[in-house]
Amino acid sequence: MNPALDLALTVLIAVLLIGGAFWMLTAALSMFHARDSLSRINVLSPATGLGLPMIVIGAFLQHTRTTGLDPFVLVKTLLTALALIIVSSIASNVLARAAYLSGSPVDPRTAPQDLARAPGEGEQEPHSEDR
Amino acid sequence: MTIILWTTVVLLGAAILVGLFRVATAPDPASRAVVGDLVFFSGIGVLVLLGLVNSSAAAVDAALIASVLGILATVALARILTKGRR
Repeated sequence: MNPALDLALTVLIAVLLIGGAFWMLTAALSMFHARDSLSRINVLSPATGLGLPMIVIGAFLQHTRTTGLDPFVLVKTLLTALALIIVSSIASNVLARAAYLSGSPVDPRTAPQDLARAPGEGEQEPHSEDR
Repeated sequence: MTIILWTTVVLLGAAILVGLFRVATAPDPASRAVVGDLVFFSGIGVLVLLGLVNSSAAAVDAALIASVLGILATVALARILTKGRR
Protein backbone atom coordinates (compact mmCIF):
# COMPACT_ATOMS: atom_id res chain seq x y z
CA MET A 1 0.00 0.00 0.00
CA ASN A 2 1.05 3.58 -0.59
CA PRO A 3 2.99 4.71 2.55
CA ALA A 4 1.30 8.13 2.73
CA LEU A 5 -2.14 6.52 2.44
CA ASP A 6 -1.20 3.98 5.10
CA LEU A 7 -0.08 6.75 7.47
CA ALA A 8 -3.30 8.70 6.87
CA LEU A 9 -5.35 5.55 7.55
CA THR A 10 -3.40 4.89 10.76
CA VAL A 11 -4.04 8.43 12.00
CA LEU A 12 -7.74 8.09 11.17
CA ILE A 13 -7.93 4.78 13.06
CA ALA A 14 -6.13 6.31 16.06
CA VAL A 15 -8.53 9.28 16.13
CA LEU A 16 -11.59 7.01 15.90
CA LEU A 17 -10.45 4.52 18.56
CA ILE A 18 -8.99 6.93 21.12
CA GLY A 19 -11.73 9.51 20.49
CA GLY A 20 -14.41 6.87 21.06
CA ALA A 21 -12.77 5.68 24.27
CA PHE A 22 -12.50 9.33 25.35
CA TRP A 23 -16.29 9.72 24.96
CA MET A 24 -16.86 6.63 27.12
CA LEU A 25 -14.50 7.87 29.86
CA THR A 26 -16.05 11.35 29.75
CA ALA A 27 -19.52 9.85 30.21
CA ALA A 28 -18.28 7.77 33.16
CA LEU A 29 -16.75 10.81 34.84
CA SER A 30 -19.84 12.95 34.13
CA MET A 31 -21.94 10.49 36.14
CA PHE A 32 -20.45 12.18 39.22
CA HIS A 33 -21.56 15.66 38.09
CA ALA A 34 -25.14 14.87 37.06
CA ARG A 35 -27.51 15.44 39.98
CA ASP A 36 -30.47 13.10 39.26
CA SER A 37 -31.02 9.87 37.39
CA LEU A 38 -32.71 11.53 34.39
CA SER A 39 -29.62 13.71 33.85
CA ARG A 40 -27.45 10.60 34.12
CA ILE A 41 -29.48 8.94 31.34
CA ASN A 42 -28.88 12.04 29.19
CA VAL A 43 -25.16 11.91 29.97
CA LEU A 44 -25.05 8.27 28.80
CA SER A 45 -26.25 9.11 25.25
CA PRO A 46 -22.95 10.39 23.75
CA ALA A 47 -21.14 7.26 24.97
CA THR A 48 -23.50 4.79 23.30
CA GLY A 49 -24.58 6.91 20.33
CA LEU A 50 -21.18 8.34 19.35
CA GLY A 51 -18.33 6.73 21.29
CA LEU A 52 -19.06 3.06 20.67
CA PRO A 53 -19.93 3.44 16.94
CA MET A 54 -16.60 5.30 16.53
CA ILE A 55 -14.75 2.39 18.18
CA VAL A 56 -16.56 -0.19 16.04
CA ILE A 57 -15.85 1.71 12.78
CA GLY A 58 -12.20 2.23 13.79
CA ALA A 59 -11.91 -1.50 14.49
CA PHE A 60 -13.37 -2.24 11.04
CA LEU A 61 -10.80 0.08 9.37
CA GLN A 62 -7.94 -1.59 11.26
CA HIS A 63 -9.28 -5.04 10.30
CA THR A 64 -9.46 -3.92 6.66
CA ARG A 65 -5.95 -2.43 6.82
CA THR A 66 -4.40 -5.70 7.98
CA THR A 67 -6.45 -8.41 6.22
CA GLY A 68 -8.12 -6.64 3.29
CA LEU A 69 -11.76 -5.73 2.64
CA ASP A 70 -14.34 -8.36 3.59
CA PRO A 71 -17.91 -7.43 2.51
CA PHE A 72 -19.47 -9.49 5.33
CA VAL A 73 -17.45 -7.65 7.96
CA LEU A 74 -18.50 -4.34 6.35
CA VAL A 75 -22.18 -5.29 6.54
CA LYS A 76 -21.81 -6.49 10.14
CA THR A 77 -20.03 -3.29 11.14
CA LEU A 78 -22.69 -1.06 9.58
CA LEU A 79 -25.41 -3.14 11.25
CA THR A 80 -23.64 -2.85 14.61
CA ALA A 81 -23.24 0.94 14.37
CA LEU A 82 -26.89 1.37 13.31
CA ALA A 83 -28.14 -1.00 16.04
CA LEU A 84 -26.11 0.83 18.68
CA ILE A 85 -27.69 4.18 17.79
CA ILE A 86 -31.29 2.92 17.50
CA VAL A 87 -31.24 0.36 20.33
CA SER A 88 -29.55 2.66 22.82
CA SER A 89 -32.11 5.41 22.09
CA ILE A 90 -35.04 3.08 22.74
CA ALA A 91 -33.35 1.59 25.81
CA SER A 92 -32.73 5.07 27.24
CA ASN A 93 -36.38 5.99 26.69
CA VAL A 94 -37.63 2.84 28.46
CA LEU A 95 -35.15 3.27 31.30
CA ALA A 96 -35.99 6.97 31.80
CA ARG A 97 -39.71 6.21 31.95
CA ALA A 98 -39.09 3.44 34.50
CA ALA A 99 -36.78 5.67 36.53
CA TYR A 100 -39.45 8.38 36.73
CA LEU A 101 -42.26 5.94 37.56
CA SER A 102 -40.19 4.24 40.26
CA GLY A 103 -40.23 7.50 42.17
CA SER A 104 -36.54 8.27 42.15
CA PRO A 105 -35.97 11.95 42.97
CA VAL A 106 -35.82 14.32 39.99
CA ASP A 107 -34.62 17.89 39.79
CA PRO A 108 -37.65 20.07 40.76
CA ARG A 109 -36.99 22.32 37.77
CA THR A 110 -37.71 19.39 35.39
CA ALA A 111 -40.58 20.44 33.12
CA PRO A 112 -42.83 19.21 31.61
CA GLN A 113 -43.52 16.21 33.87
CA ASP A 114 -46.48 14.76 31.99
CA LEU A 115 -46.10 11.32 33.61
CA ALA A 116 -47.15 12.81 36.97
CA ARG A 117 -50.39 14.28 35.58
CA ALA A 118 -53.76 12.66 34.91
CA PRO A 119 -54.85 12.28 31.26
CA GLY A 120 -57.03 15.19 30.14
CA GLU A 121 -55.52 17.57 32.63
CA GLY A 122 -54.12 19.61 29.76
CA GLU A 123 -50.67 20.38 28.55
CA GLN A 124 -48.09 21.56 31.01
CA GLU A 125 -46.26 24.73 30.13
CA PRO A 126 -42.55 24.14 29.57
CA HIS A 127 -40.32 25.87 32.06
CA SER A 128 -39.58 29.38 30.84
CA GLU A 129 -37.37 30.88 33.56
CA ASP A 130 -33.63 30.70 33.34
CA ARG A 131 -32.03 27.49 34.61
CA MET B 1 -0.50 0.49 16.16
CA THR B 2 -0.14 -1.71 19.25
CA ILE B 3 0.30 1.43 21.35
CA ILE B 4 -2.96 2.89 19.96
CA LEU B 5 -4.87 -0.31 20.70
CA TRP B 6 -3.60 -0.62 24.27
CA THR B 7 -4.19 3.10 24.96
CA THR B 8 -7.81 2.60 23.96
CA VAL B 9 -8.07 -0.52 26.13
CA VAL B 10 -6.66 1.41 29.12
CA LEU B 11 -9.12 4.31 28.57
CA LEU B 12 -12.05 1.89 28.38
CA GLY B 13 -10.81 0.00 31.43
CA ALA B 14 -10.64 3.28 33.34
CA ALA B 15 -14.23 4.00 32.24
CA ILE B 16 -15.29 0.57 33.59
CA LEU B 17 -13.50 1.13 36.94
CA VAL B 18 -14.98 4.64 37.35
CA GLY B 19 -18.40 3.23 36.44
CA LEU B 20 -18.14 0.41 38.99
CA PHE B 21 -17.10 2.89 41.68
CA ARG B 22 -20.09 5.06 40.74
CA VAL B 23 -22.39 2.01 40.97
CA ALA B 24 -21.14 1.47 44.52
CA THR B 25 -21.70 5.13 45.51
CA ALA B 26 -24.89 5.90 43.53
CA PRO B 27 -27.72 7.46 45.58
CA ASP B 28 -30.75 5.73 43.96
CA PRO B 29 -31.41 2.44 42.10
CA ALA B 30 -32.19 4.19 38.79
CA SER B 31 -28.70 5.74 38.71
CA ARG B 32 -27.20 2.32 39.39
CA ALA B 33 -29.08 0.91 36.39
CA VAL B 34 -27.82 3.73 34.13
CA VAL B 35 -24.18 3.39 35.17
CA GLY B 36 -24.45 -0.39 34.86
CA ASP B 37 -25.53 0.18 31.24
CA LEU B 38 -22.42 2.29 30.68
CA VAL B 39 -20.21 -0.46 32.12
CA PHE B 40 -21.89 -2.97 29.77
CA PHE B 41 -21.17 -0.84 26.69
CA SER B 42 -17.57 -0.22 27.79
CA GLY B 43 -17.21 -3.99 28.08
CA ILE B 44 -18.33 -4.33 24.44
CA GLY B 45 -15.62 -1.83 23.46
CA VAL B 46 -12.93 -3.82 25.31
CA LEU B 47 -14.17 -6.99 23.59
CA VAL B 48 -13.83 -5.40 20.12
CA LEU B 49 -10.32 -4.15 20.87
CA LEU B 50 -9.11 -7.47 22.28
CA GLY B 51 -10.44 -9.04 19.08
CA LEU B 52 -8.24 -6.60 17.13
CA VAL B 53 -5.16 -7.37 19.24
CA ASN B 54 -5.61 -11.10 18.64
CA SER B 55 -6.72 -10.40 15.02
CA SER B 56 -9.78 -12.61 15.53
CA ALA B 57 -12.85 -12.03 13.36
CA ALA B 58 -15.26 -13.42 15.97
CA ALA B 59 -15.17 -10.14 17.92
CA VAL B 60 -17.19 -8.47 15.12
CA ASP B 61 -19.99 -11.02 15.56
CA ALA B 62 -19.83 -10.68 19.34
CA ALA B 63 -20.16 -6.88 19.09
CA LEU B 64 -23.11 -7.23 16.70
CA ILE B 65 -24.96 -9.62 19.02
CA ALA B 66 -24.21 -7.54 22.10
CA SER B 67 -25.39 -4.30 20.48
CA VAL B 68 -28.62 -5.83 19.15
CA LEU B 69 -29.53 -7.78 22.30
CA GLY B 70 -28.18 -5.23 24.79
CA ILE B 71 -31.66 -3.71 25.01
CA LEU B 72 -32.90 -6.84 26.82
CA ALA B 73 -30.68 -6.15 29.85
CA THR B 74 -31.82 -2.52 29.97
CA VAL B 75 -35.51 -3.41 29.65
CA ALA B 76 -35.13 -6.03 32.39
CA LEU B 77 -33.55 -3.42 34.67
CA ALA B 78 -36.38 -1.00 33.84
CA ARG B 79 -39.01 -3.63 34.77
CA ILE B 80 -37.16 -4.32 38.04
CA LEU B 81 -37.15 -0.57 38.82
CA THR B 82 -40.93 -0.27 38.44
CA LYS B 83 -41.46 -3.63 40.25
CA GLY B 84 -43.17 -5.18 37.21
CA ARG B 85 -45.52 -2.31 36.35
CA ARG B 86 -45.21 -0.93 32.84
